[in-house]
Amino acid sequence: MIELIYAGVFYILLSIVLIYRVAKGPNVVDRAVASDSIDIMTSVALILFSLYSGRGIYLDIALIIALLGFIGTVLISRYLEGRL
Amino acid sequence: MRIIVDIFLIFGCFFAFAGTVGIIRMPDSFCRMQSSTNIATLGTLGAVLGGAVYSFWSGNIGTGVKVLVIGMFIVLTNPIAGHAICKAAYKYGIRPDKKFVCDDYGRDIADGK
Repeated sequence: MIELIYAGVFYILLSIVLIYRVAKGPNVVDRAVASDSIDIMTSVALILFSLYSGRGIYLDIALIIALLGFIGTVLISRYLEGRL
Repeated sequence: MRIIVDIFLIFGCFFAFAGTVGIIRMPDSFCRMQSSTNIATLGTLGAVLGGAVYSFWSGNIGTGVKVLVIGMFIVLTNPIAGHAICKAAYKYGIRPDKKFVCDDYGRDIADGK
């Protein structure tokens, strides 16, 4: 199943394209949203690579990356709102 | 089996591509936020369902269940993050474009103060 690797590389290329928005974004919200999307796409690419290589450890890493991305986004939004 | 997995993967890749183009090309912060939720729901769901079908079909039940749990976690937590960061953006002082039609949330904040 080489298509899993193709899809994972496509997701990683899309997240490399999103670094442009992180670097250029006019304000902080654009950067936070783009980095949250990069987190999620990295997690999906890790899932696909884990299914290709047959090792279960990458699934745990993908779960941790998704969880930390969610916590980071909520934390940044609380800080911007002024309630942290 | 391979064709079903390929259809799911192409579905996910198409929606992730559409969301990336939206984040790069949209004119406004709130429009970019809406495109990013497109990545996190449909783009994730396609790849995760494809991976789960592949893993169930090849006999790894535990791996498939774990993949489904990760996908369900991402799909459930993304709207919470979206709402939080949208509200934070509005309170931080970021406003939409000039062609904005109705501004209910600004009216609510003005009434609250």
